[in-house]
Amino acid sequence: MSPVLQAEGLSKRYGRRLALSDCTLAIPPGRVVGLVGPNGAGKTTLLHIAVGLLRPTAGRIEVLGGQPASGAAQLAKVGFVAQDTPTYAGLSIADHLRFGAHTNPGWDQQVADDRITTLGLDPSQKAGKLSGGQRAQLALTLAIAKRPDLLILDEPVARLDPLARREFLQGLMAYIADHGAGVILSSHLVSDLERVCDYLIVLVASRVRVAGEVDDLLAGHCRLTGARRDPADLPKGVEVIEGSHTDRQSTLIVRSTTPIDDPSFTVEQITLEDLVLAYMAQAATGAVRTAALETQR
Amino acid sequence: MIWFTWRQFRTQTWITIGALAVIAVALAITGHNLADLWTSSGAATCHTNCGTAVSTFLHEVRGGVGDKVYNFALALMYVVPALIGIFWGAPLIARELEAGTHRLAWNQSVTRTRWLATKLTIVGGASAASVGLLSWAVTSWAHHIDHANANRITPLVYGARGVVPIGYALFAFVVGVTMGMLIRRTVPAMAATLAIYIAAVVSMPLWIRAHLAPVRHTTTPLDLSRIQDLMIKPRGAMEVVSGVIPHGAWVLTNTSITTTGQLFTGPANPQYCGENQGATACLNWVGSLGLRQDLTYQPASHFWPLQFTETGIFLAAAVLLAGFCFWWTRRRLT
Repeated sequence: MSPVLQAEGLSKRYGRRLALSDCTLAIPPGRVVGLVGPNGAGKTTLLHIAVGLLRPTAGRIEVLGGQPASGAAQLAKVGFVAQDTPTYAGLSIADHLRFGAHTNPGWDQQVADDRITTLGLDPSQKAGKLSGGQRAQLALTLAIAKRPDLLILDEPVARLDPLARREFLQGLMAYIADHGAGVILSSHLVSDLERVCDYLIVLVASRVRVAGEVDDLLAGHCRLTGARRDPADLPKGVEVIEGSHTDRQSTLIVRSTTPIDDPSFTVEQITLEDLVLAYMAQAATGAVRTAALETQR
Repeated sequence: MIWFTWRQFRTQTWITIGALAVIAVALAITGHNLADLWTSSGAATCHTNCGTAVSTFLHEVRGGVGDKVYNFALALMYVVPALIGIFWGAPLIARELEAGTHRLAWNQSVTRTRWLATKLTIVGGASAASVGLLSWAVTSWAHHIDHANANRITPLVYGARGVVPIGYALFAFVVGVTMGMLIRRTVPAMAATLAIYIAAVVSMPLWIRAHLAPVRHTTTPLDLSRIQDLMIKPRGAMEVVSGVIPHGAWVLTNTSITTTGQLFTGPANPQYCGENQGATACLNWVGSLGLRQDLTYQPASHFWPLQFTETGIFLAAAVLLAGFCFWWTRRRLT
């Protein structure tokens, strides 16, 4: 099956600042994709390019086999919940649903009504009077009732309190279970994504650091603890992502294509959070190294 | 998209309909009164030498409430297009960009082009319709006064009659949309819209309108019995202005020239035009110089050709700007 999202050398530049650089991705269909990275990493830029709100400066992107926002048919295939879940403050929930019904050929009024009822919302209430969590739910309802093949959510839970966060993700999970559409959602917290994602993209400082199935990523990374040694003499195929050393001991988070059977190391499973943090740290030290080089010059 | 545009625009529509209704009632009541005055003054039935009847009519109007309505309606015709630009045009896109709701709107199954086309058509149509109705009402209401004043083509009145207000309104509306789109903030976009509208509407009579139809140019012997102004300035400089003006014309220049075609600027002969001499002596001396009146003007008959040309210019500007809005929305707006 062809990828839901395929990007090659995708870059976006704002003046002299690179928001996204040389992003190459191929996301297989039917996945719940977590896009994780610190604030300002380029997550929103990547998602905005995917829904056609932004045009890339360089590179190619195809979403569900088409150019983003290239026409009404393409727009109908992709649902999007923007950051801070914008809604029309002066319009009621019912108005929003009518808006969705009037502008989307595949609109499912039943789904929309059911969700609003389940959430216990009053359709006549103005969106401006809703809490952050309710507004996010309304935005999600609009995106879901559109019946997209791919649902993209940009930091949907970032501003929600823990309870609203859980309810929102539960609603999303229920939708995924019922419809099996692909989902891409971003967050700066991996803990938000851990329970829902089966595919992960780590984006740090405008670059994709690692992307893959969560299971493969967990199987391909581990923590090595052992007597202090130079990371350079590790076997081939083992790449150090993050290392910390004391006088006598080294702790390394590594990516390995083959199982490690070095008896001088204790090999441990790592969590998804450890993995993401390691890549973030790697990007940070990389940045420091570049900065140091520039100072020397 | 049509329903949604209407939903967003609903409140403004009702306010506008309400305001138009109030104005219509005011014009209907006072208009009835005006028609009575027109009849009672004798202007309605007179065919030749109507000067006295018309003066009586104008005098009556000036004393009554009709005068206030006249001035109010005149101001209204300039203010309403500005209001449309400010309150309908500027927020149309800017408010969506400010609230971030464009990210919601553009991710429904409607292309940005259709999104913008629907908004521009519905709100632009409402602008044209409301100003068209208003202009029609005011033009008919002021019909007798304009006839009596014979000044329908003069700059201030001209812009408040006929079809040009529609051009102004659509122009102001699209300027508002464009500014909102470029500035992305409602209030600064409103200010920019107002500034551009004023600049456009003021520069029209100052520099452009006079050239939109062939200017009439006449040179006739100065009629001494109808001198409007005879001024003697310090150091003997003089200015003589004839009061011979074609009926209902918009005078562009009105000067007195000498037999050699130069602008007459004096010097005054102190023997006739000194401090102690009477006006007659000076006038007779001026008459002996063989001066001619050099007049350029737009005749009353050019009212409608000028109206259509000027409206066309504003509509063309509006269409060009709208085209730019489509291009920018599709290519540049994020």
